[in-house]
Amino acid sequence: MIRKTRLIRLLVLLIVLIGLSSYLSLFLGVTTIRPLEAIREWSSGDLSKETLVLTTLRLPRLVLGLILGANLAVAGALMQAVTRNPLASPQVFGVNAGASLFVILALLLFPALGTANLVYFAFFGAMIGGLLVFSFASVRGMTSLKLALVGMAIHLLLTSLTKGLILFNDRITNVLYWLSGSISDSGWLEVRLIVPWSIIGLILAFSLAKSLAIFQLGQDVAVGLGQNITRIRMLAAVAVVLLAGVTVAVAGAIGFIGLMVPHIVRRLVGEDYRYVLPVSALCGGLLLTSADVLARFIAYPYESPVGIVTALLGAPFFLYLAKRQTKGVA
Amino acid sequence: MLRKRMTGAFALLVMSCLMLAACAGQAKEETTKKTHAVTHEAGTTNVPDHPKRIVALEFSFVDALDELGIEPVGIAQENKDDVSGLLDKKISFTEVGTRQQPNLEVISSLKPDLIIGDFNRHKGIYKQLQQIEPTIILKSRNATYQENLASFKSIAEAVGQTDQMEQRLKLHDKRLAVAKQKVDPDDQRKIMVGVFRSDSLTAHGETSFDGELLEKLGIDNAITKTVEPTVTITLEQIVKWDPDVIFMAEADPKLLNEWKKNPLWNQITAVKKGEVYEVNRDLWTRYRGLDAAEQIVDEAIQLLYPKKS
Repeated sequence: MIRKTRLIRLLVLLIVLIGLSSYLSLFLGVTTIRPLEAIREWSSGDLSKETLVLTTLRLPRLVLGLILGANLAVAGALMQAVTRNPLASPQVFGVNAGASLFVILALLLFPALGTANLVYFAFFGAMIGGLLVFSFASVRGMTSLKLALVGMAIHLLLTSLTKGLILFNDRITNVLYWLSGSISDSGWLEVRLIVPWSIIGLILAFSLAKSLAIFQLGQDVAVGLGQNITRIRMLAAVAVVLLAGVTVAVAGAIGFIGLMVPHIVRRLVGEDYRYVLPVSALCGGLLLTSADVLARFIAYPYESPVGIVTALLGAPFFLYLAKRQTKGVA
Repeated sequence: MLRKRMTGAFALLVMSCLMLAACAGQAKEETTKKTHAVTHEAGTTNVPDHPKRIVALEFSFVDALDELGIEPVGIAQENKDDVSGLLDKKISFTEVGTRQQPNLEVISSLKPDLIIGDFNRHKGIYKQLQQIEPTIILKSRNATYQENLASFKSIAEAVGQTDQMEQRLKLHDKRLAVAKQKVDPDDQRKIMVGVFRSDSLTAHGETSFDGELLEKLGIDNAITKTVEPTVTITLEQIVKWDPDVIFMAEADPKLLNEWKKNPLWNQITAVKKGEVYEVNRDLWTRYRGLDAAEQIVDEAIQLLYPKKS
């Protein structure tokens, strides 16, 4: 159990880091923005180009990064808690791939559909992807290995379907940039779209935090203690679908945040999900925002999809995790 | 009874196989009469002199062959009317899948004596293509104007039509020189060629096919020092680099309408001055031949200098 003073110290540190990365996200990029000048202009109402870039592009981009990062991290933490499996995450569970597939399908069948409606397809796809993996992996007891294998298989299957659709439809080769995960072209429209769903998802997740602790004791104990396991699982699944689905709908499949962040956070605060979930939300936001700043400088002055940056950071971490796991088993 | 019939059928099968093999062998012999070496992006290939059955996997190669008076037997295309749009006439050929995903079986069934693939799309399947028949890999997609010209020259060398190639290039230079006279040398306007897709904007920078071509005529590109000939850019970057003229090679409304609602959109000089033009997408982003280059130049000049032309 984490001590209160340590928790407070951690929170302060996180908030400082988020502040720093927000500052960089707002003021760094191809346009140089001077904070003081921007504030002065903003209060006088006479906005220059630079200040407009700040208020109409950088600010929504920052908000989006913080919220979507939180969504992905919390979705990952929920999945890892409910499945008691360290490898669970929206990506490994086929949730991201399912959502991507259905968004592409929707674009293909109903080209005139706006982003606001794509969200529902993303939710549905996220659900299908997750259900597929869960049902195959839980036949005769779920193990980490089985989950990883089934998850990867379903992920690859769904991704290959998506790629097939793109290959045979010249018109939607369009979406390749979105597919690799990006928040660079987002504005307030996207923010308005994701905020309600994200709030519902996050509140649902946080309200489950206390019950999640029971999963750590094992399913039998949980049932013995009178917990309604199925109900908690269902609610957690709904939260994951909302959080991951809405993220994919606006930003594409940004991988690795859902996998990495909960691990780091459990290292820091222990296994109590009343702390793990909110701290994961903060760390997820911090990570995505920082990755988004990095994405602007990899090929400066041109931008790279942020999904590539998170994968760049995440892949070595995944390997490290896998190595530690096999050591533990042996 | 049954066994006898089976044996008979089997014998027939073996015989027909042998005959087929013999035929194939003959076909091989015919094509291996005389060859010359052609150096290309993926190595050096011995190409038969004056190949007759050519498969072209990019539109600009089809255009090049057409300029040299050769009709390919197989072409990769996405839409039924791609080739007729490209050449402005109907030719008969076999579709060999899409440019992104050519069908090797169909290519093989055509028994070509030369396959021309694109460096960007087909370098990965070069070995497989080479196993079918002699293959050369040249630059077209995401390549510069000069690289596309070089590909035209390589094709002419491969098919042994260098005289015709030189004549055509002379004509091309002449046409560009005529076009250049219509460009005002004091014109400071910088252009951007943008492909506005549903989720992103791709700009053709100063080293892209159309970008470099227009630069050659003295029409400057606003998107400079790019890592690749084409780059994905954001609204913030357009505002920063502020083009005076925007050519929209594609105008998907999804992202574009969102940008148009942003007050920054109206801060772009091209938008302020009303110099945002939609241009022919196939011509500006897909064809990339000599003919396409000349048409792009014409379209650009008509839009930039409506009174003069």
